[in-house]
Amino acid sequence: MPRDLSRMVTWSLRAKLLAWYSLVLVAVLATFAALAVWAVWQSGLRDFDSRLTATASVLGRAINLDSTGRYEVNLTGPDLAKFTGSDEGPYYAVWTSAGLLIDRSDPLVDPTSPRAPQVRSRGGNREVIVAGNQGALVLVGDSLGQFRSDLWRVILGFGAAAGIALALALGGGWFLVGRALAPVERIGATAEAMSESNLGLRIDVARTEDELGRVATSLNRAFDRLQAAFERQTRFTADASHELRTPLASLMAELDWALARPRASDEYRSSLAVCLRAAQRMRGVVEGLLTLARAEAGAIEPHRAPVNLASIVEDAASGVGSIAAEHGVTIHIETVPAIVDGDSNRLRELISNLLINAVQHSVAGGTVTCSISTLGPTTCVVVSDTGSGIGSGDLPHIFERFYRANKVRSRASGGAGLGLAISKWIAESHGGHIHCESREGQGARFTVELPALEARATGAPGHAGSQLSSDPTDAAVPTAGRA
Amino acid sequence: MRILLVEDEADLAATLRKTLVESGFSVDVTADGEEAIWQAEGTAYDVIVLDLMIPIVDGWEVLKRIRARGDRSPVLVLTARDATIDKVRALDAGADDYLTKPFTLDELLARIRALIRRAAVSPAPVIRLADVEIETSARRVTRAGAKVDLAPKEYALLEFLALHRGTLVTRTVLYEHIYDDRDDTMSNLVDVYVSTLRRKLGHGLIRTCRGSGYIIDAP
Repeated sequence: MPRDLSRMVTWSLRAKLLAWYSLVLVAVLATFAALAVWAVWQSGLRDFDSRLTATASVLGRAINLDSTGRYEVNLTGPDLAKFTGSDEGPYYAVWTSAGLLIDRSDPLVDPTSPRAPQVRSRGGNREVIVAGNQGALVLVGDSLGQFRSDLWRVILGFGAAAGIALALALGGGWFLVGRALAPVERIGATAEAMSESNLGLRIDVARTEDELGRVATSLNRAFDRLQAAFERQTRFTADASHELRTPLASLMAELDWALARPRASDEYRSSLAVCLRAAQRMRGVVEGLLTLARAEAGAIEPHRAPVNLASIVEDAASGVGSIAAEHGVTIHIETVPAIVDGDSNRLRELISNLLINAVQHSVAGGTVTCSISTLGPTTCVVVSDTGSGIGSGDLPHIFERFYRANKVRSRASGGAGLGLAISKWIAESHGGHIHCESREGQGARFTVELPALEARATGAPGHAGSQLSSDPTDAAVPTAGRA
Repeated sequence: MRILLVEDEADLAATLRKTLVESGFSVDVTADGEEAIWQAEGTAYDVIVLDLMIPIVDGWEVLKRIRARGDRSPVLVLTARDATIDKVRALDAGADDYLTKPFTLDELLARIRALIRRAAVSPAPVIRLADVEIETSARRVTRAGAKVDLAPKEYALLEFLALHRGTLVTRTVLYEHIYDDRDDTMSNLVDVYVSTLRRKLGHGLIRTCRGSGYIIDAP
């Protein structure tokens, strides 16, 4: 279920993003709330303390020694009212400098002298102790209850606000993440919908110019390449099938005809000749395809040895001689000894293919020239003809398998259309390359460039090759019907 | 019945030619699209057998051009291209039938006969005219149940008139449909065949329209 899988992945990505997002948000809110509550607590407590201190100072100033040497607290009016009236509210206690309790507003106040001025919290109360007149110690305290419950309200308020903020942020986040991931969903859906029969689908990038838009563009380009490769493959299969079906049709039709009724012996003979030609053509296609398939798979190990291209060109030309004579074309050879490191069979096949190709594209009376030249580290074999040439539209494609450049050419004169593809492979497997220059109606010129092993190193010009040519069995390579 | 065979594969063209000739057809062969268009313009073929991958002008283009010209000849496409898109393209360009290579000759001949029948007055494979019965698939003629032996050209002439029964067929048209480019017989042979047919099948069957041609009246 790849579709469900993609949805699940998107879903969990959304949830994951949101989880991280909310975690961070909660941490931020909690830190902020804690700091705020702490600040409120601190400033509230400072106010509380200064209020208590002010009261204690008033009380401290109200202490006097009377004539008998006793301490007395002269509280009047509003100052006194602070300590009376109800159970709630501040309380006080006064000690002599010797630590003796003089007075306290509430019997619950701890009678022990605190001994020094200080601020302290004790059992839910806040107490401020200051020095009063005559060395007395004055304690004023008050319950923190009200302050605490105020603070709790602040905390609750913060909590509620944070909760609402979190909920809003999560909702918005869910929506935004969903929106941000929607292109991913769309990309996935498009990729999912693409199939063999529907390779033309592309991701709509009109609305996405961000990172995902770039991803989509890259994916679209990958799809383009995929489609091109697929179409190439389809075309190749169709071409291969066409090249095999055509001789097969001829073979079957001829057999069908011959077997329909008794025939004369010369009719049987001509039928068998037709069948043989069809079979040879099929062999040509199958061998060519096999060569290319094995070449692609890297299954062909070239037997490299120093070989003289001059003798290979001469061999190939004499092999093509009969086909050239059939077409009324003259083959002209201009060679100089040129030694390359190569597989003589393959190189002969390469030259033969080029020569056959040139002969088949020439008109009767034309000339095909094959020449060798060495330029520094490169040996060039040039095969040129005076034939129909290749149109500029066809030129980039002629080394493709089954590509038929010249639509004018009747198939009767041509092979399966694999010769140049094989030639290209041979040239490249020798570390060289092949290219073609041509203009419609002005002949074609194929150049093979191979790395030279040694230039004119041995012997007299024109003879060096005969000794260096590989073993004589090479000459038996069939080249006809292959180009 | 005259057939134009457009096939650039020389061996296959030769095989098809001799097969069709043995089956009583007159056959013209061309190897490229340009010549095919030119040939089809000059002659009203009963069937055109057309390969698609042919030089100069490909088969699809040949179809388009002859149909644009108003040519009504049935076209059977005979090709190694078996992809659906090729079939669709060819049929949409004006082909009437599509046969992929390799094929059997029997099927090709049956399809050609079917195309000829469909182009005629009635698509029935057996034509009955009074007591004469023509089996087009077997090329057999009987009169009152008895088999009548006809020479190939006599049969071709009878079949053409019978398929176009009810219409006047001129000597030129008859000549065009029963002879191909290789024949160089004189057109008065048509009159000789007609008189032989009358002798074998009765004088009422084929009527002469003086000066112009012949007609078999529709039953």
